Amino acid sequence: MKRFITLIILLLSSTVIFAANAATDLEGGFKLGPAIIMITILVIFVMVGIIFRAKNTNDFYAAGRGISKVGSGMAIASNWMSAASFLGMAALMYGSGYHGLSYVVGWTGGYVLLLILMAGQIRKYGKYTAADFIGDRYYSRTLRAVAAVIAILISIAYCVGQFGGIGLLFKWIMGIEYWLAVVIGGSVVLTYTLISGMLGVTKNMQIQYVIIIISFLIPLFILTFKFDYFWLLPQIGYGSVVSDIVGGIPLAETADLVNKYGHEFAMVPMPEYAMPWDPATGQTFFQWIAIAFSLMIGTAGLPHVLQRFYVVPNAKDARWSVVWGLFFICILYWSAPVYSAFGQILSAHPEIGALEKDAIVVYTAQLGNIHPLIVGFLAAGGVSAAFSTVSGLLVAGSSAFAHDLYVKVFRPDSSPKIQLRMARYGTVVMAVIVASIALLKLALIGQLVAVAFSLAGCTIFPLFLLGIWWSGSNKQGAIAGLIAGGLVSLIAIAYFIAGTQGVTLPFNEFIDYYLGAWYFAVFGAPLAIIVHIIVAKLTPETPIEIRKFLTESVHS
Amino acid sequence: METNNQEYRISFFKPSNPQTTANRNMVLWLLLIWTVAIFGFHVVLKLIEEPTPEPILLSYQEVSQNVYQGNASLNEMQTFAKVPLQVLSKVFIVPEERIELQNALNWAIFQIADDEEKDALKAEIANFKAIEEKTTDILAQDYQQAKIELMAVAAPMLGLSDRDVRTKILPLELNTEYPQNMSEENIAQLETVLNKYLIHNESVLTNMTVLGFPFHYFYTAVFLLILFVVLCWIYCVRTDVLNKKYGIDD
Repeated sequence: MKRFITLIILLLSSTVIFAANAATDLEGGFKLGPAIIMITILVIFVMVGIIFRAKNTNDFYAAGRGISKVGSGMAIASNWMSAASFLGMAALMYGSGYHGLSYVVGWTGGYVLLLILMAGQIRKYGKYTAADFIGDRYYSRTLRAVAAVIAILISIAYCVGQFGGIGLLFKWIMGIEYWLAVVIGGSVVLTYTLISGMLGVTKNMQIQYVIIIISFLIPLFILTFKFDYFWLLPQIGYGSVVSDIVGGIPLAETADLVNKYGHEFAMVPMPEYAMPWDPATGQTFFQWIAIAFSLMIGTAGLPHVLQRFYVVPNAKDARWSVVWGLFFICILYWSAPVYSAFGQILSAHPEIGALEKDAIVVYTAQLGNIHPLIVGFLAAGGVSAAFSTVSGLLVAGSSAFAHDLYVKVFRPDSSPKIQLRMARYGTVVMAVIVASIALLKLALIGQLVAVAFSLAGCTIFPLFLLGIWWSGSNKQGAIAGLIAGGLVSLIAIAYFIAGTQGVTLPFNEFIDYYLGAWYFAVFGAPLAIIVHIIVAKLTPETPIEIRKFLTESVHS
Repeated sequence: METNNQEYRISFFKPSNPQTTANRNMVLWLLLIWTVAIFGFHVVLKLIEEPTPEPILLSYQEVSQNVYQGNASLNEMQTFAKVPLQVLSKVFIVPEERIELQNALNWAIFQIADDEEKDALKAEIANFKAIEEKTTDILAQDYQQAKIELMAVAAPMLGLSDRDVRTKILPLELNTEYPQNMSEENIAQLETVLNKYLIHNESVLTNMTVLGFPFHYFYTAVFLLILFVVLCWIYCVRTDVLNKKYGIDD
């Protein structure tokens, strides 16, 4: 079997070499090279899944107890790194400079909270899903159902941005319309999820991580080398690029450095790229803080992230895997700004026209005249990043539907077979919903994903934080807090949707600014926590069994 | 039952034994460092910032009065025209603001030109626009040729050298339709746009450089992430030590 797979991989890679000159223009037509690279990578993922398939359910959930901390760190990182990290972050910095760094900080700083406040305790609590924990800790079947619904909503919101990224990359690779690309890309990712969902995941995730990070880093070494910056460590070397953007690059110094279209590597001073909350970007200090804060607490409230800690062997491994996971994530996050900095200079000439910001990573590599196959590999890496996250989210969402809603709430007597069937239906329905929303192209990928974070920060985060650290937190408090956080979310999202449809609601400007769709958790989460505490103080205490369990098992 | 009910209380702030106390203190310390490093730094950045104009905005302020009163020298007119051109050379300009800037630029360059030059300039612009409209490939010979010819006519009028970045941008921003005079409204709108794009929040933290970076950029994009990994690492090491000390096996 293994020999057979190696043969296929070799065959596929040889076709890649023949396809070398296919990719040309920034958009252009069908690109054979990148297409083959992408298909090869996806085939490798499925093959690896087959080779290392989970032997039994325990194996499946535990996702390989024998795996080292480094290995499970890689799994955390690959699970985390999505189209938002791969494409979206560079896009935000490209479009709004220093403001974009609030996303970088937000999507990494949250791991500190997650680790020091939750990771070990969640492992000790020992449930399988976020809804399981909430239903159990707050001794309420209703809350379990509500938590499952919220987990599904968060998965959907999170996936919309991913589908947008998949659509952009498929559009780029295949040279087709965006809507068609979303439909095709969505179908491929759905098929992939249905196949790989049955297979072991963790080994796959390590390989995914390695491919994603290598494809992302190679162009950076080339760019820094080519344009004469310190290339041995592009993550530091691009510092001078940022300073050059601020101070401007005169023509004389760069006589023979040009982009793909012969525009010289030069630009007028653009301090707005690096100066904080620059008026030119239209973003303020408050928004910087609000986004960083919302993304951080959102990180510590995302069901599919929290769920990863249930599957590590013990609390110690849960903790250490976060350190490694964060380190591996940071490698990507240290690197993403390099793309936006080079993208800024390489696309500075107005002849380049307005570029699709979310594809700036790929365009920058192209504009920098990097070999089409390497750009193809980069795009394929982006597809893998989106695929790994989407399949994880679709599985999390559909298991919330099948396991937490259907079985535990509606049909406790259903057989495992029916459960599995419901999970598959759930996956398909979710994918269709997500694709339809992605077609609307409501905002940048990074912003769409940020909506999911704020939603998690307003709803799930307070329940976990208080549930773990305060035995006084009870069912009534949880319900009240959830209503408060849910209302804030509802208002923010309603205003956002109304805005995209051109409808003006009362207090539009005020709400849009203070409860922006990407950062409403900045007020929503503290409100939910305060309401939770007040109501819990006024209502009957948590039953003794749960407090006993908390004391003896979680905090011993 | 009543006594039982008093037991098994967990509160982060009221630890019940030495181990939970040690854990609480460590978590609070780490949270404090985390908060100060992220939010504290940015509050400081906000507090000490000074809105600082780019040098080109200062030169605009020097010449604008003479220009609008119609008694500017050639040199002053050229300085004036370069201001909107420089802003147009930046990467992200809102389309409506682009029009304001182009209006000012074109008004100025046609003020500078004498009658003969005006006709030549108009002819070159019309020629370039016609080709630009048809062309689908910016590398096409005729397009490049028309662009260079227009550049050759227009750049000297503004006193721009070949080796100036703005020279390369100039042909794309020229237009034969421009306001005949800069009304008060035009001027006000132009100045709003200039202030938006040419004033930046600078301070000692943004002007220092570290490893080539502006300091605050390095701090946020590189250092903070290192700090996060280190904080996590410290937490894990300390927790392992504490657990060993209190004999907790997890």
